[in-house]
Amino acid sequence: MREKIKQQIDRLKAKGAHYVDARWYPREDSNFLFMWNGNLKENNASSQSGMGVRVLYNGAWGFSASSDLTNPNAIFDRAFDNARIASERVTFPIRLAEKEAVVDSFTSPNQIDPFTIGLDEKVAFLQKMDAALNQPGVVQRFGMLEFVRKQIIFLDSEGSEIEKNIIEVFPSIHAMGIDKDGGMQRRKYQPGRTGATRGWESINETDFLANAERIVSELNQVLVADDAPNGKMSVILLNGIMFLQTHETIGHALELDRILGYELSFAGGSFVRLEDFGKLRYGSEKLTARANALEPNSPGSFGFDDDGVPAQDNLLIDKGILVGAITGRQMVEEANAKAKKQIFDGSSGANRATSFYRVPIERMTNINIDPGTDGSLEDIIANTKYGLVLDGDKSWSIGSNREQFHFACDIGWLVEDGQKKQVVKNPTYRGETLPFYNSLTAVGDESTWNVHYVENCGKGAPNQIMQLGHGVPVCRFDNVQVGE
Amino acid sequence: MSNQVIDLLQKLRQSAIKRGLQTFISYHEEDSFLMRFANSAISLNTNEHLISLDFIAFDGRKKVSYSMITDPSDFESMEKGLDTLAEMLPHAQALSYDPTFPVYEKDVLDERAFDPALAALTNEERLAYFNTLAEGLESDDVKLSGIFSSGTTTTAQISTANEHSQTFRSTDAQITAVLSSESLKWEVNAEQSAQKKSDLDAEGLHADLALLVKHYQEDQSVQLPVGKYTVVLGPAATAELINIMAYYGMTGGALMQGYSFLKEEDQGKHLFSEKINLLDDPRKVEIYAQNADSYGLERKPFPLIAEGRFQAFMWDQDSADEFGKTPTGHDVSHASLVMDGGEKSVATLKDLLEKDREEDLLYVPYIHYMNVVNPTQGMVTGSSRFGALFLKKDGSVQVPYNVRLTQKFSDFFGERVQWLSKEQVAYNVSSSYGRRNPTALKVPRFICVKEIEISHSNPSY
Repeated sequence: MREKIKQQIDRLKAKGAHYVDARWYPREDSNFLFMWNGNLKENNASSQSGMGVRVLYNGAWGFSASSDLTNPNAIFDRAFDNARIASERVTFPIRLAEKEAVVDSFTSPNQIDPFTIGLDEKVAFLQKMDAALNQPGVVQRFGMLEFVRKQIIFLDSEGSEIEKNIIEVFPSIHAMGIDKDGGMQRRKYQPGRTGATRGWESINETDFLANAERIVSELNQVLVADDAPNGKMSVILLNGIMFLQTHETIGHALELDRILGYELSFAGGSFVRLEDFGKLRYGSEKLTARANALEPNSPGSFGFDDDGVPAQDNLLIDKGILVGAITGRQMVEEANAKAKKQIFDGSSGANRATSFYRVPIERMTNINIDPGTDGSLEDIIANTKYGLVLDGDKSWSIGSNREQFHFACDIGWLVEDGQKKQVVKNPTYRGETLPFYNSLTAVGDESTWNVHYVENCGKGAPNQIMQLGHGVPVCRFDNVQVGE
Repeated sequence: MSNQVIDLLQKLRQSAIKRGLQTFISYHEEDSFLMRFANSAISLNTNEHLISLDFIAFDGRKKVSYSMITDPSDFESMEKGLDTLAEMLPHAQALSYDPTFPVYEKDVLDERAFDPALAALTNEERLAYFNTLAEGLESDDVKLSGIFSSGTTTTAQISTANEHSQTFRSTDAQITAVLSSESLKWEVNAEQSAQKKSDLDAEGLHADLALLVKHYQEDQSVQLPVGKYTVVLGPAATAELINIMAYYGMTGGALMQGYSFLKEEDQGKHLFSEKINLLDDPRKVEIYAQNADSYGLERKPFPLIAEGRFQAFMWDQDSADEFGKTPTGHDVSHASLVMDGGEKSVATLKDLLEKDREEDLLYVPYIHYMNVVNPTQGMVTGSSRFGALFLKKDGSVQVPYNVRLTQKFSDFFGERVQWLSKEQVAYNVSSSYGRRNPTALKVPRFICVKEIEISHSNPSY
């Protein structure tokens, strides 16, 4: 098949295509198990195979994909024809940033392929988790195991040939109960990704059992708790909500395609403008954020993006100042041209597609916040006059330019005079992105830092779900509107 | 087309029977086209032809499934899928209830929603449509974005119980056109849902966009003070609210899992405005209705709200099996929700702007990034977007910066409802995550609701 693809790429080049690439998925397997209240509701295996072809012709993209590989010529021809029509409405002819031709491979670090583990063992794990969660106060409980194994062959007309073999595991447990006012409450646990590998071995049963106890205990405290207070106060965001705050108001805001207006008809734009790079004070000096696709054990690390650009670790915000973006080959060229200066040195290797039948777009890798110097969680609490410690991603809603947000959390703890007090329920907070990050007054040290995976980030049209990660410390923000 | 699909399903059925598998087999085929615009250019032109198969094997209370996106000529891979299913089944855990195995009592072929002309739409026609809707409205500062998504979806089901099968085929199109100011960052949009080619109306979208652009360029922009407003919802806002309300509140699964803001004893109670009637109506071809669910149950009009009284929960087969209820024909990839219009004739935005008004009205056509803050309270939050207008009592119009609404479903559809427009429109809420699943609701063009609270107001666009 590789030779056939190369021939087709050469054929379209001869027809006048400026650039051609193909992503052939010989096979992608997944396995999903879902146990709800002791019932194994989902026990699904799946597979997919096919090819997606991208053609750049006269400054415009065409893309075509099919699971029917009996006639690969047809897929290439349709992609070429789609580009030909698209070239009839071009305002800024697409150019691609330079890159070296890469002949290489990437295999995600794993010790045990989860597809070699028998169904009995996987079901037994879920049964143990179900039993651990089945305690007084818990009225609904579920556990999920999802495994993905994919082989991707990338070839392009610039001589790149890359094979990727990637395995992912996504385990989580959830417990829900009815609070004293009749409202549904929940706590959940998914393990962090600071280990060196991401195979079956990364699912640690002892760790899960300990966390099952913790979330049931916390849930029971929420069930009898009073509502969170309203008003302006400090919020101390634990990993289980700080990852989402980072995701929504740093990650999405710094996707260069959004900044350039390529998502305006769907996901939205960004308040960031090209002239902001190198100047905009995004947050306080305590804020340093980076896109690090080199974290070993995260779905945001993939070796090479779907432009064939190697994974990188790049600063986005340096001591509060905006310095970088999440980029691919097309957008950096357009941004530099529109800004009439060199903002970006090249692609940051973040152009990714969710499957063979979707086109690559700028996606987050691991959008991380560097640990700070404000000590442990306990240290930060001890230095807080009045506020809430918050955790859990109950609900999120963000302005279309990522300029403002509203989050609801699963649990809060009141903090008064440096003391962590009682649990409160239904905490929400909201704010405007720049004032919020400029109110960042404490960033926890390494002991508070963890990598949180995201398996369901949606973006693009046609829509794509992407997997990625966020390494974040505990952070405190002051003067935040809580409640309402 | 249908014969080829049925032939494949019959062949797979025989393979399953040979393996001794009691199996449900489902087929999904999409031929999808999407032309995407950004910065006044075509930023992407794509098509995907994908064939998916789902197998579910049953053994008493045990159930396992296998899904695949596959090459239609690769029967060997499909049989391997059945082999995998046979390997998995003995290791499955028995459910605590008896799952129903689909048994079809007759053949069903429903192609009411298929239009050959829309299926054959060309790249040139998609481009011409966008050129028409944007004609004369773009400038160095005002740029066109949008999508023209269209396609054909074929689904079919069979089970090893007998040779009867079901086939459904529909065509759909979803068009979103956005005009935005590069310098000021305002954005307005116009949208259309189509089931057949003759539904396409580029001139209509042009008129909507031209009106909004005029207001956004000429009228004063304003940061509204937070507080309560009389709000007029456009069809996008209404459809998204109803869709989320039905999903979170009106399914038996959500009820039993404790997520619904409604309770079992709420059935028959007057919980919404008497002006509100909401029906799941499988007769409405324009919103891609189908006449049977995937278990072969005939789909019939199913009232959810009648003159403000909540009527009943929708029960899919699995939830009905688990909780001892009767399924209501809701094992479908999408319901066909219709909210009745009212008595006030307001057919277009132009009509709304020209009508005399007794108070200030905040027109919110679209709620961006709506999410459920508290499911058991039925509380949602989201921000206005795409062409909100503040219609002053004195007849003038201002352009409000985006505002955040955090309210309960009962705030939007309860006693505060003032009027609903007589005119209805189909609004497309299809998501192209995963498989193509054309989904639309038919809703009043406008709904006016008093005392909707704005909790945050942007200081600029």
